[in-house]
Amino acid sequence: MSDTEKAFQINVSDADIEFLHKKLELTRFPDELDEAGWNYGAPLADVRRLVARWKDGYDWRKVEAEINAIPQFTRDIDVDGFGTLNIHYIHQKSSVATAVPLLFVHGWPGHFLEVRKMLPILTAASPDHPSFHVVALSLPGYGFSEAPKKKGFRGLQYAEVANKLMLALGYNEYVVQGGDWGYYISKLIVAEYGTKTVKAWHTNMPVAGPPSVWTHPGQFLLFLVKPFTAAERAGFGHSQTFQKKGNGYFMEQSTQPQTVGYSLADSPAGLLAWIYEKLVRCTDSYAWEDDEVLTWISVYWFSRAGPAASVRIYYEVIQDDPGALRMAKYSPIPLGLSFFPKEPVVVPRLWARTLGNVVFEAEHERGGHFAAHERPEDLAGDLRKMFGKGGPAYGVVPGKDGYVGRDARL
Amino acid sequence: MGDSEQPFTLSVSDAELEALQRKLELARLPDEVDGAGWDYGVPLADVKRLLARWQNGFDWRAAEATVNKLPQFTRQVEVEGFGELNIHYVHQKSTVKNAIPLLFVHGWPGHFLEVEKLLPLLTAASPDHPSFHVVALSLPCFGFSDAPAKPGFNGAKYVETCNNLMLALGYNEYVVQGGDWGSFIARRLASTYGNQSVKAFHTNFPNVQVPPSLWKNPQQFFAHAVTPYTAAERAGIERTQWFLTKGCGYSHEQKTQPQTLGYALADSPVALLAWIYEKLVQWTDGYPWEDDEVLTWISVYWFSKPGPAASVRIYYETVVSNEHPKIPTSTIPCGLSFFPKEIIVPPKTWARTIGNVVFESEHQSGGHFAAHEKPEELAADVRAMFGKGGPAFGVVSGRVGYD
Repeated sequence: MSDTEKAFQINVSDADIEFLHKKLELTRFPDELDEAGWNYGAPLADVRRLVARWKDGYDWRKVEAEINAIPQFTRDIDVDGFGTLNIHYIHQKSSVATAVPLLFVHGWPGHFLEVRKMLPILTAASPDHPSFHVVALSLPGYGFSEAPKKKGFRGLQYAEVANKLMLALGYNEYVVQGGDWGYYISKLIVAEYGTKTVKAWHTNMPVAGPPSVWTHPGQFLLFLVKPFTAAERAGFGHSQTFQKKGNGYFMEQSTQPQTVGYSLADSPAGLLAWIYEKLVRCTDSYAWEDDEVLTWISVYWFSRAGPAASVRIYYEVIQDDPGALRMAKYSPIPLGLSFFPKEPVVVPRLWARTLGNVVFEAEHERGGHFAAHERPEDLAGDLRKMFGKGGPAYGVVPGKDGYVGRDARL
Repeated sequence: MGDSEQPFTLSVSDAELEALQRKLELARLPDEVDGAGWDYGVPLADVKRLLARWQNGFDWRAAEATVNKLPQFTRQVEVEGFGELNIHYVHQKSTVKNAIPLLFVHGWPGHFLEVEKLLPLLTAASPDHPSFHVVALSLPCFGFSDAPAKPGFNGAKYVETCNNLMLALGYNEYVVQGGDWGSFIARRLASTYGNQSVKAFHTNFPNVQVPPSLWKNPQQFFAHAVTPYTAAERAGIERTQWFLTKGCGYSHEQKTQPQTLGYALADSPVALLAWIYEKLVQWTDGYPWEDDEVLTWISVYWFSKPGPAASVRIYYETVVSNEHPKIPTSTIPCGLSFFPKEIIVPPKTWARTIGNVVFESEHQSGGHFAAHEKPEELAADVRAMFGKGGPAFGVVSGRVGYD
């Protein structure tokens, strides 16, 4: 496959920006019940304030220029049965030639920019911690990547794109980090390509069911006798609340993605509310600034394939296999887990350990679903510990241990 | 309470019509996966076509004039804890003085206009069938009624509103017909006011999702144990399965985050169109919707007094009040009509646990919006239930439906 890589800069047209402003001006708001707070969903005062700022004061061009300081590219990736998709990605190399190649995979309603705060930390060079070459793609249907045109683009296809991208960049061996759909896709990358190309993986959102006596007899016995920790019990409560009250979007997106897609495509306020609700609910009292939220939403609004494409992954994966997210095909490659207390899906440690060869665990006091954005030092710190000298996954990528020095065998 | 009834004429302002047009002009549509059909939700081709018609060709003023042929009113109705709500309703009396007072209750995404085709049938006078005085309200949060301002307006409050309205109209005794939320409300009207003001009810939405229990319904329990399901019942179970696994996303969102969803419904006519049109098609039985018919339906939501976002709160309030899934039963006569493409289609033995079922009718076609899709069949069922020789004849003292 010839090298189709092109340098990429986001360049939303003036017409698109003006169009958004016209729509924002025409926004018709719903009413709200007295003292509704967050009980009924995203509060009206928040949405009004954000829409007003988006219309007047928020400067997309300035934000765009700042994003464009991050090295971005596109290239064509061929996907079996789906033709060629043009994929957008960040590729930030470390000054350390033998840095560990790391692929960061986002989810929904996330995007490639979730990696942003971690970039300087992960790519920093030091004798005290490993350094990484970081690749963060826009998944197909997100950000500035194309969306597939045909039905049936499922987990394996996302994994295929991710793996082929890394290979195309010359990273024949690499490690992967992901949360949300990034967790699921990482799991599939590992299942499909583990030990061949993928050498280790890390997730901040391990999703697993209780250990089964058939597949994990050791964990099963422990499961029967070991009491849950206070943190795990709190996590259960938190997860249950999310399942009961926070799952509506999941049910709609996994059954009628096109129907909800009209809302997301046509109403900036509708898109804003739909995503903002998750940005607030799924984080740990993170102090969102309005412009920060608007940048996040704008990436969806201005996305190449449009926001409706982003929710199809729920349909494609869940309709194919409703139990897909809990599936755990064991792999021997090293796995690292980071637990953040306000992650909506919190599973006990024992269950999470069934996901693979867990060599690293870290438990944090603060942080939620968007760990890379909320707690970049914590998450990047975990990766450094996992892959650093003395760490359980040190040197998994032969010749690329993340340090300057003698160990530069190619 | 003095009589606050006012005649009501639907009259959307020019400004609102123009604002809608401007939004339609600026509509931004998503793409679609090749060959999606209806698998992923509402097809893009349908939305494009409806959008184009809405912009050019659909005549709201003509639709409005047709709506205004129905005798409509508003009045203040007191609801405990919520003050007075201004309630909009159709009230069509029969020429038969002793016609049976009947309250028709719509659901979501329905509205008062669902009664339109039933009206001439139910109010017609004949020696061969009973006649009814029909009241069809816009439920609070829907159509041209007020929405309450405070949290907590749950099923009990809907029931109170309905009963207070009928009493205010001078109908101290009446019967109820409803589907969707109208069924939920009818059943609660029965359990709250049964044998007082409410004398009987009929529903085309027998929403029962569990088999009879030995302790509560021993007769049905044993019947269920020994009677094999009919082919229609097996098909009904499959239809119900489809709904519960594939068709419930809207309900999950509406009962947990109605406000979040509400922003898109309020702001985007295309979003509202898709959200509702999906149900109009998936919940009916090959009903040949005409574009203008759909657009009229959606426009009632778009131009509704409280706005479309308010309409979905009933899901949240009733769930938070724990009013599901058990609805208390009543001894008053109850009638059931089964339509094969309804969204919950229980076997008969399950459905009979709804209450004192004295009337059943099974149809070969028709779906969730029975009053709109199958008005003759539904009217015939109601007539059969309440007519001379019928199992609920004469339930309302002095108003047997014939002069």
